[in-house]
Amino acid sequence: MFRTAEIIKAAKLPPEGVAMSRHIDYIYFIPILFVTIIGTFHMHFDLLAGDWDFWLDWKDRQWWVVVTPVTAITFCAAIQYYLWVNYRQPFGATLTILALLAGKWVTIVLAWWWWSNYPYNFVMPATLLPSALVLDIVLLLTRSWVITAVVGAWLFAALFYPTNWALFAYSKVPVVVDGQLLSWADYMGFLYVRTGTPEYIRMIEVGSLRTFGGHSTMISAFFAAFASSLMYILWWQFGKFFCTAYFYLTDSRNRTTKVSDVLAYGDLARAERAKLAEGKS
Amino acid sequence: MSAKNVFKLCVIGFCGMAALAFSLVLDTSPAAAHGERSQEPFLRMRTVNWYDTEWVGKSTAVNGIATLKGKFHLSEDWPRAVVKPHRTFLNVGSPSSVFVRLNSKVNGTPMFTSGPMEIGRDYEYEITLKARIPGHHHIHPMFAIKEAGPVAGPGGWMDITGRFSDFTNPIKTLTGETFDSETMGTAIGIGWHLLWGALAVFWVGFFMVRPMFLIRARVLASQGDALLLDPIDRKVGAALLVVTLVLVAIGYFANEAKYPVTVPLQAGETKIKPLPVKANPMVVEVIHAEYDVPGRALRLHLRATNNGDQPVSIGEFTTAGIRFLNKTGQARNLDPNYPAELVAAAGLTMDNDSPISPGATREVKIESKDALWEVQRLVDILHDPDQRFAGLLMSWTDSGERLINPIAAPVLPVFTRMSGV
Repeated sequence: MFRTAEIIKAAKLPPEGVAMSRHIDYIYFIPILFVTIIGTFHMHFDLLAGDWDFWLDWKDRQWWVVVTPVTAITFCAAIQYYLWVNYRQPFGATLTILALLAGKWVTIVLAWWWWSNYPYNFVMPATLLPSALVLDIVLLLTRSWVITAVVGAWLFAALFYPTNWALFAYSKVPVVVDGQLLSWADYMGFLYVRTGTPEYIRMIEVGSLRTFGGHSTMISAFFAAFASSLMYILWWQFGKFFCTAYFYLTDSRNRTTKVSDVLAYGDLARAERAKLAEGKS
Repeated sequence: MSAKNVFKLCVIGFCGMAALAFSLVLDTSPAAAHGERSQEPFLRMRTVNWYDTEWVGKSTAVNGIATLKGKFHLSEDWPRAVVKPHRTFLNVGSPSSVFVRLNSKVNGTPMFTSGPMEIGRDYEYEITLKARIPGHHHIHPMFAIKEAGPVAGPGGWMDITGRFSDFTNPIKTLTGETFDSETMGTAIGIGWHLLWGALAVFWVGFFMVRPMFLIRARVLASQGDALLLDPIDRKVGAALLVVTLVLVAIGYFANEAKYPVTVPLQAGETKIKPLPVKANPMVVEVIHAEYDVPGRALRLHLRATNNGDQPVSIGEFTTAGIRFLNKTGQARNLDPNYPAELVAAAGLTMDNDSPISPGATREVKIESKDALWEVQRLVDILHDPDQRFAGLLMSWTDSGERLINPIAAPVLPVFTRMSGV
């Protein structure tokens, strides 16, 4: 079904090298790469968009819709660059969001439920997995990071609200308490006491994305899509910057050349060839 | 490794073991309060003056109702260092949500969202709580001020009995459904997370079953990506794209149909009128105030004028949730349920206990003295950037009417005991 045999043959590794490469795959992939993404991205995401993602009564039509995808696409783009450019692997965004959600659920179960006793529904995170899948697949199908930035990143943000409506639509059902109209999410935020988080801390429904007859969600989603495209480009370039290896090669005439390559071992191989060439001359 | 290094490692290991063993004999009882004593005295004394606080339902079964109620006065002597109460929220200080808060009223107005309050005015609140998590809990009213932080009121112990697993909180929505706040949406949320997680794991696993890194990097570097871009990857990717978009559409439209009536989050502002200002025939002015450090006493020299038609007796001084009373205060205003650790029942003494006659002006020397100043860490006023005190002086007419006078003044430290008080 796959071209695995041809690819292994083309790699020109001895059988023990092939076996070792699979060990490296597993050792690197799960304990190092995945856990590193959890540790770094989870913290990064929670610092920027954590409250909107933690609390049911922060999931509004403006800030939640904008902040979450724009923050989430950052690491997706950088990891996509790393996995695509170095290995042609089209799962960078999906892996990043899986790692984020793994970190989220550890927090939800241990910190929010076990330690603080908040019910799961009150601290249910949003999901960006469909957005990430689409972003990865657009990159695979187009093989162009520019088109991915324009189409994939746009879809990444635009799909966020409809995806999560399936999880949180119920929370916008109205309730009347003491003669006041609230959404269910508002009342949940009121019911479950957060001593250090008074109501005014919520950053919700504040802003100017309010034209077109109150269709705030669509405007916010469109703005988020536009901002996500820009953010994708920026973080793809961050990925490029941090994945680029270079070194300086000085030949026998003392001429120093900066040699850039995304693969350090490729550069070393080139350096080896350069040395051999010098030896011959 | 040399014997010397082995010895060093043994010593370090021994120290570590000793530290661990020592930690077992330390007092490791759980912290039950909320750090209210760590707030600076000027913040606690000169922002919110709590009074008449009641914890109704000292022991409540799970699902039972308890009430936290009382009054507060926003001090006229509001510190310059604290943002004015333009946006405030009456909160509950509790160790997690051991109670759920069913409603909260300030001066009869429901307070679901925050709003402004007026300095120098009084407010009466009542918070209805439903017992959720069994235990012995320290509960405070808490006044949160935007950009200044929370100010904790007095804390009282409330017990909840029963089993947490018995807690339910069904509430009827405007559309006629009944949602339980403990469970509503949990199963559907976890279900969608599992579904999307399964698809994502499939997508990553689809590439994981084949060589992932080293081999592909070598092929890419030497031959480009023609061989690496397997046609089946594109086919599976295209199929998964369609599945993803269809699932998103199904989830969205199914929930649109299921919940046709929805409202956005309510982000309004609660407008609360303060309690009407009561006519107060008593006028109190602080002439001098000092804190006796070794004696643990706040000494006040006051000028009190009784403009009423009945004699008035001073009975209580309260600040930062702690109370100093004399016999008048004990008789008139001592709730036996008020936390004993916050009351100095005989802590208020005066140079002249007799009532102030109608029309009379008298200079009064009052001493509020108790170890509470130390225990509650209010003696730290000496280290504050703004050395003033504020509080409420309560007095009673012969007919039992309570008169409340907010008082405030600069306070000077005294390090030796003075005579004459």
